[in-house]
Amino acid sequence: MSGTALGEFKDSAALSLGVELELQLVSRRDYDLTRGATDLLGSMDYDGRFGEIKLEITESMIEISTQAQASVDGIAADLAGLRDTLHSHCARNNIGVCGGGTHPFHHWPERRICPGDRFHGLYQRYGYLAKQFTVFGQHIHVGCTSADEAIWLTQALGVHVPAFIALSASSPFVDGVDSFYQSARLNAVSAFPLSGQCPALDSWQQFTEHFAFLQACGIAEGIKDLYWDVRPKPEFGTVEIRVCDTPLAIEQAIALAALAQSLCRWLLRTRPPLHTAKQAHVARYNKFQACRYGLDAMLSDPVALCQVSLRESLARLLDDISEDARELGCLHWLSPLKQMVVDNAGDAAWLRAQFAQHGNLHDVVRAASERLMRQNNDSRGVTP
Amino acid sequence: MIESLIAPLRAVWESLIERLLFLPPFPESIDALALFSLLLVTGLLMGEWLHAHARWPKVIGYVLAGILFGPSLLGWIGVETLAQARPIADAALGLLMMEVGRRLDLSWLRRNPELLRSTLADIGLSFALIFAFALWLVGLSPAWAAATAAVTMASAPAVVLLTVEESRAQGQVTERIILHTAISSAASFVAFAFVLGVVHAELSEDWLNAVVHPIWVVTGALLVGGLGSWLALRIARALPKRSLAQVFVLVACALLAVGIARMLAVPVFLTLFLMGVLLAAFDRRQTLRYTELPDGHWLLAIVLFVIVGASLPWQEFTWLAGLQALGLLLVRAAAKAAALAWSGGSLPLPKRLLVGMGIQPLSATAVFMAYELASLYPEVGRSALTLPLFAAAMMELAGPALCRLALRRSGECENEAGERGGIA
Repeated sequence: MSGTALGEFKDSAALSLGVELELQLVSRRDYDLTRGATDLLGSMDYDGRFGEIKLEITESMIEISTQAQASVDGIAADLAGLRDTLHSHCARNNIGVCGGGTHPFHHWPERRICPGDRFHGLYQRYGYLAKQFTVFGQHIHVGCTSADEAIWLTQALGVHVPAFIALSASSPFVDGVDSFYQSARLNAVSAFPLSGQCPALDSWQQFTEHFAFLQACGIAEGIKDLYWDVRPKPEFGTVEIRVCDTPLAIEQAIALAALAQSLCRWLLRTRPPLHTAKQAHVARYNKFQACRYGLDAMLSDPVALCQVSLRESLARLLDDISEDARELGCLHWLSPLKQMVVDNAGDAAWLRAQFAQHGNLHDVVRAASERLMRQNNDSRGVTP
Repeated sequence: MIESLIAPLRAVWESLIERLLFLPPFPESIDALALFSLLLVTGLLMGEWLHAHARWPKVIGYVLAGILFGPSLLGWIGVETLAQARPIADAALGLLMMEVGRRLDLSWLRRNPELLRSTLADIGLSFALIFAFALWLVGLSPAWAAATAAVTMASAPAVVLLTVEESRAQGQVTERIILHTAISSAASFVAFAFVLGVVHAELSEDWLNAVVHPIWVVTGALLVGGLGSWLALRIARALPKRSLAQVFVLVACALLAVGIARMLAVPVFLTLFLMGVLLAAFDRRQTLRYTELPDGHWLLAIVLFVIVGASLPWQEFTWLAGLQALGLLLVRAAAKAAALAWSGGSLPLPKRLLVGMGIQPLSATAVFMAYELASLYPEVGRSALTLPLFAAAMMELAGPALCRLALRRSGECENEAGERGGIA
């Protein structure tokens, strides 16, 4: 039963990577979100060499997804290729593309749902939430050699969700105002009934039983209905980290992929004890802390029964996984993250600085759009 | 008709005026504010009624109100009333033309050269085919045939903008309709200035006027438009972006340019279009880029289209003139469709043809240009320009419907995209 809905777990190469980025389509006249996705895809002459460019729920979003790659540098090459492809096609259609987890001032009732049965079904099911879901995230897939490994990593990565949120946070503005959050995007996601964390499950067998239970209760029909922070993706043979905001530049997206790959290698190598039942009690609180305060968050440790600074624990973690990053050939991509932990210069801070400089959010989006399209290539490809 | 209605009132008033010292003389003309209000309410009611009951674009209702109450039918809006309302019409048209000028994004042509090809094809084919039709099939002189082509070659910026706003349309078809309209308007204005000289040369053989008048029009519009945009940017720089104060500055500078243009006998539509283009081109700090006209510009637009409707010469209608105008519109439609079919820059053919349909409107600017040219030599001009005026009169009604249909078929109107998907 569940096997039909979930499909077989397709084993993939250990620690292989794939990245999906949801991007904003903006009018070049006023930098508000615009209706452009179907027009853009309809006129696109692209052979898919760097991965896919796809529709998302509303017409103001577009998703790019890399091919499965063994290395972070492969992801970097794909993302640069996808960005440049999108750039040239958007230029022909006079549309701007922008990163960031939320559009700072768009009016959600104006959003148009994309054509297609799936999107229509989501709109009918979730009503206005579907339009409010015009938020933009980065999803990172890490290849697993077995279904049980994917479930174990889903649990193990859950503890590190606040780190991914804080490092990617790029959505401080919502509805034209400063939300005080570093990442306000996840508040839109948490409105969905199946958002949150994967329950404490120990194996693929337990996961399929849990999914069959959800199916029998009429709650979920497929894996796509589970809007968990981290979830297994059987059809790709991966575990998928879904909590990151789309960064303002692809270099940060690549660095986050490097973090995911190195962290998974370190976790699988050291197999730390998980305490999943205890972590479940503090997961939502810790997630809120990371969304609200970013690297300044104070996280609850349910094992040591104390609060710990995310900045300090993240600095230690980045040191711990450095050896694994070196082995994987992506240590150079962790440097900007280490620097960010020290000087606090994340995307949310950058957006607030732009607002302070320009005094209006239209210019903030213009600057962000220019930043995404700025190429940082050298002869070796994209560099941190 | 109006006279017979107010005659009893006038008689009573005049009998009282000798005894009641405070009474002013019986008003011979309607007060400007009262006129504005009447035009607004009649147009508004007709537009809203047609929109609610027949789903027609509101602009058609405004124009019909003008035709109904204008000199052609009921005569409640007389020729003098039209002259009195002209400043309001100029202000309304000016603001809309400035908006079109601000939206002229020439950098898009640089990024998509195929678009340049389609806009040039639209301009070239429309002018050439209309000129040939007027010269050979209608039998106008070369100068008046050129004048006819200059006046009718472009789409109607005011109609297009209002239809797009009313439909809340967004997408490639919408954007390209606006771009084509703005560029063809610019080309039409250049042709108009050139034709001014040609008409002088043909009708009076006065070479001084033939040379100096186009220069006066173009240079005057450029200087006044330049002054308006410079002032607006200069003052707005000191104000917060998108503030209400900036909106007021923008409107005030536009009205100043309208006023100066009227004083210098420089066409308002050209002046304000250039002001909009210059505003966009020299706004390097994005001072006014995001500042939008207040919704109140709809107020002026309603009055504009009631006046345009009333200005249309339906009382001079003959079947021959009607057929000739219909022929011109068909030739013009073919030219625009052919241009878009030939090239359209990264848009599938069905959508390009929808762009061709969306740029069919012909309206206020054409009527104002025609009257501007006709006023040079009133004894011949009015009859010579019957053709474009009737073409505009027909398109006043069909144009908004065609533009709206194109936007709806493209799936870019609000509440129609997504769920239905539009055409591929």
